[in-house]
Amino acid sequence: MIDNFLAGSAALFGDPFTIGVFIFGVIGGMLFGAIPGVSMLTLAAILLPFTASLEPAQGVMLFAVIYCTGTYGGAITAILFNIPGAPENAPTAFDGYPMTQNGESGKAVGAAVLCSAIGGVASALIMMAATEPLANWAIRNIGPPEIFALVFFGLAVASSVGARTIWKGWMSVLIGLLIATIGQDPVGGINRYNFGLTDLAAGIAFVPAILGFFAVSEIFVQAEKKASGKYKAPKLSMTFPTWLELWMHKLAVLRSILVGFFCGILPGIGATLAAFMSYGEAVRWSKNREEFGKGKLEGVISAETANNAATGAAMIPLLALGLPGGALTAMMVAVFQMHDLQPGPLVFMLSPDLIWIVFAAMFYANLSILIIGLVETKTILNLLKIPFQFLAPLILMLATVGAYISRGLVLDVMVMFLAGIIGYLLRRSGFSIPGIVLGLILGKIGEQNFAQGMQMVHYDLGAYLSRPICAILIVLGTLTLLSSAYRAFATSQKSV
Amino acid sequence: MGRLKRTHLVEAVLFLLIVAVFYAFSFEFNQPIEIYRFGATVWPRVVIGLLLIATLGNLWYQYRHGSASQGTIGQSDDEADYSEPGTIPRMIAVLLTPFIFAWLLKPVGIYFSAPFFIAAVIWLFGERRWSAILLITALIYFIFIGLFLVILNAPLPQGNMSPFYDFSAWILTMNAKLQGL
Repeated sequence: MIDNFLAGSAALFGDPFTIGVFIFGVIGGMLFGAIPGVSMLTLAAILLPFTASLEPAQGVMLFAVIYCTGTYGGAITAILFNIPGAPENAPTAFDGYPMTQNGESGKAVGAAVLCSAIGGVASALIMMAATEPLANWAIRNIGPPEIFALVFFGLAVASSVGARTIWKGWMSVLIGLLIATIGQDPVGGINRYNFGLTDLAAGIAFVPAILGFFAVSEIFVQAEKKASGKYKAPKLSMTFPTWLELWMHKLAVLRSILVGFFCGILPGIGATLAAFMSYGEAVRWSKNREEFGKGKLEGVISAETANNAATGAAMIPLLALGLPGGALTAMMVAVFQMHDLQPGPLVFMLSPDLIWIVFAAMFYANLSILIIGLVETKTILNLLKIPFQFLAPLILMLATVGAYISRGLVLDVMVMFLAGIIGYLLRRSGFSIPGIVLGLILGKIGEQNFAQGMQMVHYDLGAYLSRPICAILIVLGTLTLLSSAYRAFATSQKSV
Repeated sequence: MGRLKRTHLVEAVLFLLIVAVFYAFSFEFNQPIEIYRFGATVWPRVVIGLLLIATLGNLWYQYRHGSASQGTIGQSDDEADYSEPGTIPRMIAVLLTPFIFAWLLKPVGIYFSAPFFIAAVIWLFGERRWSAILLITALIYFIFIGLFLVILNAPLPQGNMSPFYDFSAWILTMNAKLQGL
């Protein structure tokens, strides 16, 4: 492994143009992740056609690097403006934004930098050491029933966080699941709920919906606060977390690496579920649960470690099995195909150089998060000094381009603004936007894997639950639902 | 009425309407799939059924406890406040302006409509100094043009109506000349 890693590093840093592509990926991913309104997906969608003119290794490496640094960059907007750069940063905002409001933005961003780097580097190391055995384990033990069970567990976690009441938490997730049913059904390809619009046959695109629910709805919330005279400018703070504070959360970091890596390795699940589940586990293991959501450092640490830990793991199903784990890894498949390559077991035999350049680049990209992140954090925090009336149109313009660019449809811009209006109204009524978005993202994956699982076990639910990993995840999901319901009802009985 | 407010009833009616509409439209694709016993309708109908239960549960909770929070985790949003005079019309304008901008993208294109949209948003956010509105509008427009047109060459909506289309074409020609193409 070390020889291969050194060879990959030498290939990466031996060619000035490849170094340029690497640096562009690191800075581009970080910038597009950190600018509210656009995300790493916007940059990836713009760059996709240009990768045809790059070497295959450079093209794949560029996307892998953008994936690592963009996942970190999205945490900054989540913490500073309550606008997650990507869905995987949504749980970061639960505690990160209250920390900004409490004047602890520096501490939250500092923790995000460090934990993203730790999660990413740990994940890259495990990926380099064990891609093939882990992929083999996943092939043998993880099938559609397990993936459906994990989706169920993730949705159970999402329904219990972020809403004013448990009922609204469930309604949020269910609305997301209902939106996900728009478009063709994943088994028979039958059109559902397209209301006569051919563009809706492909379903609601994630990028505009996510931009609308997160970025546009936050702008509307701030507009309402401005109009009602309740707007408070976020407080700027340059105080970083101390080493002691971070050391006190070592168990949370370790747990989040494990959760993140496990979720990342499963095809189709990716970093979003990892962040939600890691946040849910942090709450479950904490003695002071009531402090979560009010600006607890552990919330930021858990979410950010897990989502970056999932980035390396997501490469395993992509490279070893040819299965993308999310939107950006799906674009990486397109990069492979542009160069007449197909990700999968053969790529390890036919293009080992490409694989090790990508692995080395991901390792160094995660390290660079630490270096560039710590140097640039103070500059980034100055974004808070820009008056919101000047930041809002910039975010809306960038979001418009972000929504339009992936499919070139004005309909997507309309969907984004509609999602923004719906998101604003739901947020102000106490619903959970991250719950809706997770339902939207996981809905189709859940349905597809449920259907495939049922076909596998010949519609025998007993056989479905006799699979150990599946049973454990279903039980954990059910326990999560029951415990959150118990906690909620106990609280409401006290208040009567 | 218990502790129910009018907003709770409106919320419940809207969700029940969503349930009814999605259930009614599910008959449009209610056809068997040869390889899958449950067909295309079962998953959406289960979701609709659960949403109906959750909506009624939410209504029951609001009947007993009003808008009180239930101690769930991670919530950070307070309730909307429209008590200040003029908030509602201003919010309607804030919500509609981006939608009008999106609707105009096809005929007018982004290059022509963007400055008006940017200025309108700044104004709606409470800025009343014309010099600041013009300066910031110009700055954001140049950032947008510089990043997406000059650096990234991103294909953006150009409009399909004269003279807006001609304006977009002029901008693209200027960019091509700038880049020496």
